[in-house]
Amino acid sequence: MPRIGVYICHCGENIAGAVNVEEVRKYAEQLPEVAIARDYLFMCSDPGQELIKQDIRAGLVDRVVVAACTPRTHEPIFREAVAEAGLNKYLFEMANIRDQDSWAHWHDKEGATAKAKKLVASAVAKAAFLEPLEDRFVEVTPAALVVGGGVAGMFAALDLAGMGYQVYLVEKNPSIGGNMAKLDKTFPTNDCSACILTPVMVRVGTHPKIKLLTYSEVESVEGSFGNFKVKVRRKQTYIDWDKCTGCGDCVNACPARIPNEFNEGMDNRRAVYIEFPQAVPKKAVVDLEHCLNCGKRTIGTAPRIHSKTGKPILAPCERACKTGACDRSKAYDPEGEIIELAVGTIIVTTGYRVMDKAPFKEYSPQSPNVVTAMQLERILSATGPTAGHFERPSDKEKPKTIAFVSCVGSRDKRHHTYCSKVCCMYMLKEARLIKEKYPETDIYIFFIDVRTAGKDFEEYYNYCRNLGIKMLRGRVGGVDELPGDRLRVRAYDVDLGAPVELEADLVVLATAIEPAPGLAELGRKLGITCGSEGFLKEMHTKLYPVETPVRGVYIAGCAQGPKDIPEAVSQARAASSAAAVPLTFGKIVVEPLISEVNQRKCSGCGTCEKLCPYSAIKLVEDKGRLRSHIDEALCAGCGVCAAACPSGAITLHGFTNAQISAQIKALAS
Amino acid sequence: MSEMQAVTGVVNLSAGDPALAGEIRELGGAELLECIQCAKCAAACPMVLAGFSFFNKKVIHAILLGLREELLDDSSIWACQSCNRCTEVCPREVNPFEVVQAMRRVAIREFALPTLSVEGLKSLYDTGHAVYLAGAGNTRAKVGLPEKPPSTVASKKALQELQTIIRNSALADLGIIPMGETGVSETCEV
Amino acid sequence: MKIGFFVGCNTAFNRPDLEQAVRYALPALGVELDNLDGQSCCPSWGTLPSVDVAGWCAVGARNLALAEEKGLDIVTVCGSCYGSLAEAKYKLDHDPELKTRVNELLRNIGREYKGTSQVRLAHYYLDHELGPDRIREALKYKLDGFTIALQPGCHSLWPSKVYFDKEEDTFHPRVLKEMCEALGATVGYYTRLLDCCGMGAMRSADMEKSFHLVEKKLVSMKEEVNPDLLVTGCSSCLLQFDTAQKFLQKDKKIKFEIPVLHYMQLLALCLGADPEQVAGLAETNVRSFIDRVRKE
Repeated sequence: MPRIGVYICHCGENIAGAVNVEEVRKYAEQLPEVAIARDYLFMCSDPGQELIKQDIRAGLVDRVVVAACTPRTHEPIFREAVAEAGLNKYLFEMANIRDQDSWAHWHDKEGATAKAKKLVASAVAKAAFLEPLEDRFVEVTPAALVVGGGVAGMFAALDLAGMGYQVYLVEKNPSIGGNMAKLDKTFPTNDCSACILTPVMVRVGTHPKIKLLTYSEVESVEGSFGNFKVKVRRKQTYIDWDKCTGCGDCVNACPARIPNEFNEGMDNRRAVYIEFPQAVPKKAVVDLEHCLNCGKRTIGTAPRIHSKTGKPILAPCERACKTGACDRSKAYDPEGEIIELAVGTIIVTTGYRVMDKAPFKEYSPQSPNVVTAMQLERILSATGPTAGHFERPSDKEKPKTIAFVSCVGSRDKRHHTYCSKVCCMYMLKEARLIKEKYPETDIYIFFIDVRTAGKDFEEYYNYCRNLGIKMLRGRVGGVDELPGDRLRVRAYDVDLGAPVELEADLVVLATAIEPAPGLAELGRKLGITCGSEGFLKEMHTKLYPVETPVRGVYIAGCAQGPKDIPEAVSQARAASSAAAVPLTFGKIVVEPLISEVNQRKCSGCGTCEKLCPYSAIKLVEDKGRLRSHIDEALCAGCGVCAAACPSGAITLHGFTNAQISAQIKALAS
Repeated sequence: MSEMQAVTGVVNLSAGDPALAGEIRELGGAELLECIQCAKCAAACPMVLAGFSFFNKKVIHAILLGLREELLDDSSIWACQSCNRCTEVCPREVNPFEVVQAMRRVAIREFALPTLSVEGLKSLYDTGHAVYLAGAGNTRAKVGLPEKPPSTVASKKALQELQTIIRNSALADLGIIPMGETGVSETCEV
Repeated sequence: MKIGFFVGCNTAFNRPDLEQAVRYALPALGVELDNLDGQSCCPSWGTLPSVDVAGWCAVGARNLALAEEKGLDIVTVCGSCYGSLAEAKYKLDHDPELKTRVNELLRNIGREYKGTSQVRLAHYYLDHELGPDRIREALKYKLDGFTIALQPGCHSLWPSKVYFDKEEDTFHPRVLKEMCEALGATVGYYTRLLDCCGMGAMRSADMEKSFHLVEKKLVSMKEEVNPDLLVTGCSSCLLQFDTAQKFLQKDKKIKFEIPVLHYMQLLALCLGADPEQVAGLAETNVRSFIDRVRKE
């Protein structure tokens, strides 16, 4: 007969504040097969664990139930303690009487105590049926995948590659660099973004351990922690990158004009284009959707032959190309190419995009002189549409008065309820760059709350105030178009207690930071989810900020939530360190809480094979009959197969039918 | 009720009424607590442009602090145009207009409403029109219309229907206007 | 085509010439009007809406039920009526509990609110159902060479979520402009187009403050457009602009006068209505404007 020990934690006041612990302990003591029931202030503390260990060593108990907080954070600790005392660590069960009881029913002490008894009884009932299990180990593929080649992804890749692991860096655009490549200067030090980013891009591009897959997207992810099989689609570039030198001759020859995404639509690029001057790799791609098919010749068809000269009539891009990289007669596969990668861990760093101005009708977005802060960033940049000349879009005049509008689409229930976190600082930065270069400019920043928490940020803010940048508390209510392409900004100045109007030459909207498009879909492929705000969810906000519920998949940068460059880089380097741990250890512990097929009971119906979300089940022929077979390395222990098996042939260890039935019975009694 | 006046002197926060916010939410200002005082509503408000002392943003703030007396001592809320520009721009979907209306509803329950509103309610009950001009028959005739529009003023049954509704509404419990079963009176004018 | 005409207090008693304009213009364009006999106040904002939600919505629902019983939509020329009725309808259609309470109140008088009729504002209704071209074809007089400034009216725009007919961009409205252009006029933009005119509760509460708003608008349109006529989409705005100017002149706040008409009056005039009947009660000098139009 099992001898179960029950240990009830007060968790300081967290549990004891709502649950009568002594009452629960007395109740537990008289439950069948309970040998001993104790309580302690903090069961996870050293003395608390020691109570359990002593009872095991003394031979008083051979099954342990801890009624405390959540197994998510504490199960490993108690299992370790049980194992140290010489007991199989799977002869341990936890009842969550904090998160699911005392916290939830704080104002109903009697109810909370009654519920705690039920939860303890249920755990005890299961404990009686616990079986010893052994951990398994799986070899790890010593390679990693980083999805997204912005500043976060680049640092994650460099760190892992620096440790000697093979890294695949997948980027959907033709070049790595991400949003940071678009910025002029970066707060709080005002270093030139290109100056600090370009060397990093070059290092990533030339690192022998980093395989760069740009213009590529993740197609599918299979396998599990330690051994992921990832299919990546390299989109068709219609240019032979082995031959392309990035000279740009084809680009200059192309007659098509398409709004340039890199310059936020403020000028045009060509149909064949190099994303930006410092692109890595510096290669051209053909945007087939916008290609004019010069001479009515679609790509993949042979050129017409000139009737007189007998020579082929080439498209301008082909004619301009000196290396033969641009050859429109080649039969390219429009689907591109699928590349299969085997990696042990994956880091997602897909970054963000800034909201467009169009939804904010009250701010007259139809005016060319109402721009987003990212557009202003491009106006200020030497590689931008004005080559760094500070001009407003409508007439190329230098703006004399500028109004910044904060929280456009952020802290907004119609768009994004969260604070985009970086806007206060980037508004100050842009204002400061302008004010330092053109001190005669009048700059007004309309804000709700100035949020400049961060090292050296408040000092930056004060510096901007000293420069004469005017700060007004009050969200802008409307922007009217005035004659002469000017704009009237209307707000209520909270500090003056009066309505204010400002005539400005340029209005800059600090539009919100949003998750990169397609993030939710990528999350689905990886098995990780987005929060209601659309960013990827970390496992634990404080303690496991770069981990996800899927082991082996990590997140960093703005894919996880809005953040500035210092924070994104820190998080990326944290993620690379976390992702390197299993690669370094070389093998990973796989909990034995997985499914097993009883071959004698299995009828070979194949129900489980179809249902398994991890493709861990195959029907295998055994003595002329089909039998279900589970790949232990792939099984994640979800239990779908065990629940569905019509013959009851599948057991999910740790959650057997006997254990679950006993729990339900205890809860229902 | 006093003339409109701004808050003067020291506001005693300790005297704030914690029940006021709940009352407002019950009376139609359900989204009150979503407000972050960003002042976008105030930037869109005609009352602010005209110089009234209380308006959407400030009414909401005062409600959250429970400043019942200060709000009741000021008649600004009765100048709200119901233009709903605040509702259109509010990024928190507070529906500030509805909060101002709810404050009027609180005020009415404390008999703090302007005479004109009492007259409007009385006229609505007596004639079916908040604005009714007894002498309008002549003007109507002058432009070629029947003396009475095809409304409650031309139909006793219709007016009785309206009065039945009003007698069963919350207004009846407040005792602000007399509610007899009358015909169209000749007295109301706004 | 048939629709229920919701007259509204101000139109019925203060500006019956506007009522007459509707009764002329819509039938002239082939729209039959139903009188919605027994209609009442919408109710206006300062009355039942300021007392409680259910009472407000019950009176609104009764007016809507009159149209529902005949299978008609409601059309009005008053922004306040439009707003009060549409907001009541929106609440009733989105709050089943409120709808039940209101229908309990209506049961006493043998009526029920179902939610089958829409509330329409006259110039939106015309734009939506007939379109500018049909209007252009029906005109007897055209406004070629005349410049108009607009006053769309707050309630024609906001809160957009409650309205059946609405602008795509409620901060840059186009319907009233296009409807005036259909009459041949040039419509000028002025930067205080969307400002409130100050009519309504504000004028009742503080005339001086209310006139401050209307003055600012008048000055803006005079300086930026210098129009021959101001056209409103709302009967309350019409009253404010038509009556405030003489006060402002007396106080030496303005030295000009801009004649004011509601769009439906202007439309009726262009369709050939008798000016005395459809615009005879204007205080501003619309007569000389009309004479100029009819002379051309």
